[in-house]
Amino acid sequence: MSIHDFWTPFSLYPFLNALFIGISLASIFFIAALGLTIIYGAMGVINMAHGEFIMLGAYTTYVFQQFLGVPFLLCLPLAFIVLALIGWIIERGIIRTLYQRPLDTLLATWGLSLILIQGIRLIFGGQPKYVSVPKFLDFQIEANFVHLSGVRLFIILFAIVIGAVTWFLMYKTTLGVRVRAVMQDKEMAAAFGIDANKIYSITFAYGAGLAGMAGALFAAAKTVFPDMGSGYIVEAFLVVVVGGVGLVGSMFSSGILGELSSIFSYFTNGTFARFILFTLIVVFLRFRPQGLITEGATRR
Amino acid sequence: MAILELKEVTKTYNDFSVVKGFNLSVSKGELRCLIGPNGAGKTTSLDLITGRQKLTSGTVHFDGKNITKLLEREIAVLGVGRKFQVPAVFKELTVRENFEVSYTERIGPFQNMNPFTKKHSRKHFNEIIELAALGDRLDTVAGLLSHGETQWLEIGMVLMQKPRLLLLDEPTSGMTEQETEKTSEIFKELKGEHTLVVVEHDMSFVRSIADVISVMHQGNMLAEGALSEIEQHPKVKEVYLGTEGIN
Amino acid sequence: MDGNLYHNRKAQWAAYILIFVLLALVPFIFDNPFTLNQFSRYIIFSLTAVSVSLVWGHGGILSLGQGIAFGMGAYGMGATMQMQFQDPVNDPIPTFMLTNELEKLPLVWEPFWSTPIGLSLAIGVPTLFFFIFGYMMFQARVAGVFVAIMTLAMLAAWYSVVYDMQPFTAGFNGISPPSPFEIFGTQIDPYSSTAYWVCVAFLVILTLGTKFLLHTKFGLIVQAMRDDPERARFLGYNVAYYQTVLFTLSGFIAACAGILWVMVTQYVSPTSMEIMLSISMVIWAAVGGRTSLLGAIIGAFLINLGQSYAGDEFQKHWLIMLGVVFVIVVLFLPKGLTGLFESILGKFSGNNKGAKQKA
Repeated sequence: MSIHDFWTPFSLYPFLNALFIGISLASIFFIAALGLTIIYGAMGVINMAHGEFIMLGAYTTYVFQQFLGVPFLLCLPLAFIVLALIGWIIERGIIRTLYQRPLDTLLATWGLSLILIQGIRLIFGGQPKYVSVPKFLDFQIEANFVHLSGVRLFIILFAIVIGAVTWFLMYKTTLGVRVRAVMQDKEMAAAFGIDANKIYSITFAYGAGLAGMAGALFAAAKTVFPDMGSGYIVEAFLVVVVGGVGLVGSMFSSGILGELSSIFSYFTNGTFARFILFTLIVVFLRFRPQGLITEGATRR
Repeated sequence: MAILELKEVTKTYNDFSVVKGFNLSVSKGELRCLIGPNGAGKTTSLDLITGRQKLTSGTVHFDGKNITKLLEREIAVLGVGRKFQVPAVFKELTVRENFEVSYTERIGPFQNMNPFTKKHSRKHFNEIIELAALGDRLDTVAGLLSHGETQWLEIGMVLMQKPRLLLLDEPTSGMTEQETEKTSEIFKELKGEHTLVVVEHDMSFVRSIADVISVMHQGNMLAEGALSEIEQHPKVKEVYLGTEGIN
Repeated sequence: MDGNLYHNRKAQWAAYILIFVLLALVPFIFDNPFTLNQFSRYIIFSLTAVSVSLVWGHGGILSLGQGIAFGMGAYGMGATMQMQFQDPVNDPIPTFMLTNELEKLPLVWEPFWSTPIGLSLAIGVPTLFFFIFGYMMFQARVAGVFVAIMTLAMLAAWYSVVYDMQPFTAGFNGISPPSPFEIFGTQIDPYSSTAYWVCVAFLVILTLGTKFLLHTKFGLIVQAMRDDPERARFLGYNVAYYQTVLFTLSGFIAACAGILWVMVTQYVSPTSMEIMLSISMVIWAAVGGRTSLLGAIIGAFLINLGQSYAGDEFQKHWLIMLGVVFVIVVLFLPKGLTGLFESILGKFSGNNKGAKQKA
């Protein structure tokens, strides 16, 4: 056994390919984390069931496609709507009761995630399901160092679009202004007649809807199974925690995480790469003060 | 002898200076009142002294020692006690426990693991309980105390620390007249042996206790002196809205 | 003085002693070896719940990564037990390493030839890791949900390591030491009452020791820090240091649970570092009552007993029920079942001066 079992030597084309895959990964992290970022940014809520919202989006797509013959592209907005509805209900039912208790919210949403995973498993069984890729996406790009499937390309493009749409909503609409007002100062916003509770419901629903769409996309790229959400949750959290709460921050952190993930995976095998990445993040976070210092910000 | 010395203390956020080249010198045993309109930078100055916020520039010396870059706990251990504007007590602990925690003769975790360590000095404890008049509330959970009682609890906790310098931020806010009077008595008793810097808005209270008054305005020192000087000071009158002066 | 019996120190110690005596008597009630082994596992789970109660219930630090210490302890014990079986002359290399084409015993495994060293490493390494990791986090004033996320990420990272380093850890297959743990010349049969009593001994000593510690001023300061860390800082306390010590202690307890686990199951695999297991530890403590060490023990027992006896038909629904129970507990019973008990006792004492849980 030598070092080569853990470490692949460097060669240009495969490395460049890895960089490119990094972009694909970054786009996946970005879309997966966007909903979580918005929810956390607006409400300070860490939703441990976020991965399950993604999973539910995937299953929604599966059901619509398999049983109702709905074309894939239409499943995207449908997944958004279904999850937005579910998100709305969850926010009013559970999240609302736990506003001043972030740790308890984390735990309650974990319990929720358990319920969702098992519920889906009971209904659909544990076997993986497949969502068929629409014809127009069924291609592969093979040029020089780039090996990319049509679906992944679509995801990258979608990430850009959804990022732009969200930016527009947040910064160019009155609703967006209201959300940002509540994010900054709930009481002040209330003084201006903004109903914070309503904003929270809408924001949570939007974040859930985004997760649903992410799930629909990922369903086409990979298989659909009850635990699939858990694969995204840690990375999604890290995107939020590293990038901070802003849209631009998420972009950068998903970019960095995606690239680093891919590069480490290139040099060493997948799971060990995860270890290096996570440890680096933990070390990095220790030195980055923003968003980590949760006390001392209280008005005294 | 100056026990507290602030030299050209400045705190800037982005482009805005909350505190600008502020100079303050407090003598040992003095009772200094720091007054000024809202936003003048009084609480921020306390933050800067105690290490809660970092200075943009300037220095803070405590008893000759440069404490500008020290952490909150290091400054506290040197003998600086602080009472916050919004009363900060341990709401889930009882009054007695609040006092016990505030007795900080042994500060390290392993020292305190010794089950035979005295939780506090009995005599000191009793003195402070009496001072704070909380003798019959010892086993009440602190979160259930009235506002005035909470203020006194915090004052008592700060005293348990055995500080040489006490920084008190609006200690009488929310207190009744009787309570305010009592606080005034306590402070007058404390000065001399301790040095007090009191941030306040209640002018009659200030009148009853202050040796020297410092007036802050827009991050800087506007005027400083005995009560009579301050009351007559034209700039002070102007700043406090109209010619009625400060009342 | 508060009339609530729950808060009476003597009553508390009595309750602890009573429960521990009952636990010690289990082998006299059930002599089926399989049942006894099950109970040993419950004891070990309650020990992990105690570690959660210490760091979270009392310290206010939600750690989702107790599995790191548990797993490290388990692997350390696995290595120790494996090397007890190996013969230095005829059979020095464990089978799974040979399958992975290793020709020599890796350097990291060498110390495990010696049982005392192996055990020390099994407990010492995770404890040290928790100290360093904790110090890093708390020095930077990481708090609240971010601690939870960081411990979760760290757990996921370590899971990857043990899963992937197949030549060293046997990967997803896990290490199965062929013979039971041997100490002081005797083997401890995992299905025996001896094994059970060893586990109970650990539980009793560590729980009572922790309770004792929490009754000192250290415990009071820790509680204050949970309440208002900034206030504690302004009194002069080094909050980061206290939190690190607490976190390290909880790691130590979880590591002990880890070594017992392999003694009792003769098997260690990456499952010990699964996210679900670490969060289950939190669920056990939460349901039983995280602010009470005894509560955590009770919670672990109840849930695991329920899980084992739910029956096959019920198994499918068990996880959903657990999720539902957990959500209910978090929403309505933040102090768990023992908190409920405390309120009930409070009603009987006629005193309701803001129930204060102290166990």
